[in-house]
Amino acid sequence: MTEQVPEWGASDQPPQTPLAARQEEAPTVNPAVAKALVAVGAFASLVSTFLAWTWTSSFPGDLSVTGYPGGNQVITLTVSVLLILALGPAYGVPGLRWLAPRGYVWLLRGLALANLASTWYILLAVVIELNGLANWVSGSWVALIATALPVVGSFLLPDDHHDAARARPMPRWIQAAVILVAIIIAMFVADYGITTGFTEQFIGFALAVGFAAWGLNSSGVLSRLTGLTAQNRVATSVAAFVAALLFVFLQTSDQYNTIADDILIFATVALGLNIVVGLAGLLDLGYVAFLGVGAYSAALVSGAISSRYAHTVLPFWGQILIGVSVSIIAGVIIGAPTLRLRGDYLAIVTLGFGEIFRIVVNNLNGQSGPDLTNGPEGVYGVPDLKLFGYDFGASHQLFGVTFGKFGNYYLLLLVAMAIVVFIFARVNDSRIGRAWVAIREDETAAGAMGIHGYRFKLLAFGLGAALAGFAGTINAHLLNTVTPDQYLFSASAPPNSAFLLAAVVLGGMGTITGPLLGAALLYLVPAKFEFFQNKQLLLFGLALILMMRFRPEGLVPNKRRQLEFHQEEVAEAEAHQVVEAQPEAEAVA
Amino acid sequence: MTTTVFLQLVTNGIAQGAMYGLIAVGYTMVYGIIQLINFAHGEFFMFGGFGALAVYLWIPPVQHLPLLAALPIMLIGGMIASVIIAILAERFAYRPLRNAPRLAPLITAIGVSILLQQLVFLWYPQPGGHKVTIGVNAPVQFPTFTGKPFHLGGVLLQRADLLTVIVAVICMAYLAYFVMKTRTGRAMQATAQDPDTARLMGINTDRVIVVAFVLGAAFAAVAAITYGLRFGQVSFDMGFSAGLKAFTAAVLGGIGNIYGAMVGGLVLGIAEQVTTGVLASYHATQQWGTAWQDVWAFLLLIIVLLVRPQGLLGERVADRA
Repeated sequence: MTEQVPEWGASDQPPQTPLAARQEEAPTVNPAVAKALVAVGAFASLVSTFLAWTWTSSFPGDLSVTGYPGGNQVITLTVSVLLILALGPAYGVPGLRWLAPRGYVWLLRGLALANLASTWYILLAVVIELNGLANWVSGSWVALIATALPVVGSFLLPDDHHDAARARPMPRWIQAAVILVAIIIAMFVADYGITTGFTEQFIGFALAVGFAAWGLNSSGVLSRLTGLTAQNRVATSVAAFVAALLFVFLQTSDQYNTIADDILIFATVALGLNIVVGLAGLLDLGYVAFLGVGAYSAALVSGAISSRYAHTVLPFWGQILIGVSVSIIAGVIIGAPTLRLRGDYLAIVTLGFGEIFRIVVNNLNGQSGPDLTNGPEGVYGVPDLKLFGYDFGASHQLFGVTFGKFGNYYLLLLVAMAIVVFIFARVNDSRIGRAWVAIREDETAAGAMGIHGYRFKLLAFGLGAALAGFAGTINAHLLNTVTPDQYLFSASAPPNSAFLLAAVVLGGMGTITGPLLGAALLYLVPAKFEFFQNKQLLLFGLALILMMRFRPEGLVPNKRRQLEFHQEEVAEAEAHQVVEAQPEAEAVA
Repeated sequence: MTTTVFLQLVTNGIAQGAMYGLIAVGYTMVYGIIQLINFAHGEFFMFGGFGALAVYLWIPPVQHLPLLAALPIMLIGGMIASVIIAILAERFAYRPLRNAPRLAPLITAIGVSILLQQLVFLWYPQPGGHKVTIGVNAPVQFPTFTGKPFHLGGVLLQRADLLTVIVAVICMAYLAYFVMKTRTGRAMQATAQDPDTARLMGINTDRVIVVAFVLGAAFAAVAAITYGLRFGQVSFDMGFSAGLKAFTAAVLGGIGNIYGAMVGGLVLGIAEQVTTGVLASYHATQQWGTAWQDVWAFLLLIIVLLVRPQGLLGERVADRA
């Protein structure tokens, strides 16, 4: 691919006049000087992380040590190293040009901004939290100036954005290795985010990751990587599984495993909802009720002390069977009458169902209804799972690493998620998945093509309910209690229907990675920011509105879905192309 | 169960149903024109209640008036609050998505609903003693009538209930006049039938849609005040279940049909009260009473969708893609 870069420059020249005009307006700075600015700044900020940024160790993360980086300096260090790597394509260093298939300037800009934002944020936090500029030492000034230089330099460079050259064919095993390395790096980044100990660290991390992701995306590395993963789906799945396993081995205590467990269960349920909303286009607003149905059904036959059927103890597979089938029955009862009608009815009926579920389980307490669910107290004392003699409640030593309760459940949830991902991928690629897409885009046309709309919609709805029931079964054991309050439309902690919908919409409807990313973001951001504690629902509402307005396809767009949402713009662009092509046609004639 | 008790249940049901009908009108008008279930309509209703309460609490002279004289002033406050919110929501959330795929405006509507609820939850200013407390996470007291209820035979008629029914009748009469006799009303009918043709005939459909939102919100504000008077409180989440019920009423009556909305509301209100009342009055079914009221309303919705999806007054209309 590298050889083709000069070729591109020759063949794809924009029209002469506008470019010349633009060059006159732009300040003329020698690109070599600009690049040198970036390089000097990058190395200087690397050095600054080994200096002290403040004199007192009272700032969280201890920035006062000269000699090695601490606290947020690690973030600056990492971004600086990335920035130095990104200078590779800028100076044409062989072996590093793959970093910028679409042009290195935006990569430099993104990384420089990431460095600036996370570093200046922490320096500002030092001033504000420790009261005054006096808390800066010489290292702080070095960092302040060093991180600003690359930003100035990279924005002085002329824009070199161009279409990526075609990727050079690589042997399969190298592709697989690249994917594995990329996913493991992503895992380490996620691990760092989850284990951040204080708010400043997380904000610095979020700023750095956000800008860096933007830079990597503009430079075309990410799209090249997604191209690779699309071609090697088995390798990608295996790599993701390996990386996720790695996470739990990195943990020294159970503290962060609980967060990881919550994210995993949230993401699994969001993925199930994505089948219903993303693939089949059915808006299910009471999805969490199916999770609740599964959890209650399983808890009742699990041998929980407060269960009415405490003496009926089914094995785990039996509980899953019960949880899934009761969920499916509920899904069919709700779906069968409503799915015959227009899609809007389903939204309101499922919203109602979510509310009714809460009322019903609250009242099946023996006083205001038959005795089944123990009312608001719920079914408590659900025992920990024991599979093949492996007690999930106890600590185990595996490969020299201690697995506490939440570490054990992490492994189980990973398997559960793998199952849901597998089902999602296989269904999406099948005749059924294509039928869903056809129904979603135009049910009348799909019907004319011989697709039985009602049957396929009911299938999607039932499958969604079944997966939620499955997740609910595990959730009951993980939490050891099942109460009505865990399954609401909107509450301050996930999973609830509003959070789930937000995760799917934010991440990207119809994709696998979308809801995973959405769930992780929606869980971590409120958990790490104290400021968000009681405002998260407000922000979710706002996020839903803004996403639908500006980026309805989500952060990780599904190609087909993106076209659907931007139909008008695509049609407009095509019309422009036709108009632009016409003069050429006339010239040829 | 005596006849008197039964009539009492029906009376309560009519008052409750008239309130559902007033809210349902807003759902049905918007749905009839742009085929959108406006999930935020319940929150317009809630804003109406808090707007009225704000006028009552923040303008001291209003508190010294007799309640009947204060009500019109409170009504204006409530209407202003809910109508402004409705116009803002329409302009900034729904209008940009007019030609988007169906799912997009529905998700936006959910977002608007959550956002509005949380706005009141977090920042509704409450005068409390000397300092202003911010945020209402519990129900807030609403002024109520102090007089004794009227006696009609053995049936008790609460003052607030009577007012609800009277107000509902006035509102529906005005709406009928507006839709049938005025130019804007006829433009609304035309837009509901075929928006594209209506636009070709020179109707400003954007304006018609705004009018539908405004009318719906104003009616919701009226309903919210009757709610406050009857239950003596308003809360930030009262729009959720009231909105659900009102939508059920709209479907029951035939969505898109404004008279259907009121009929559906009355049927739902009476059915709810009578079902729970009758169940609670027999020993064998006693436990299935009051606590299960919402469940019976929901079952009614499912049954209607199963048996007569076009609603009581609705006609089967071809699915507009």
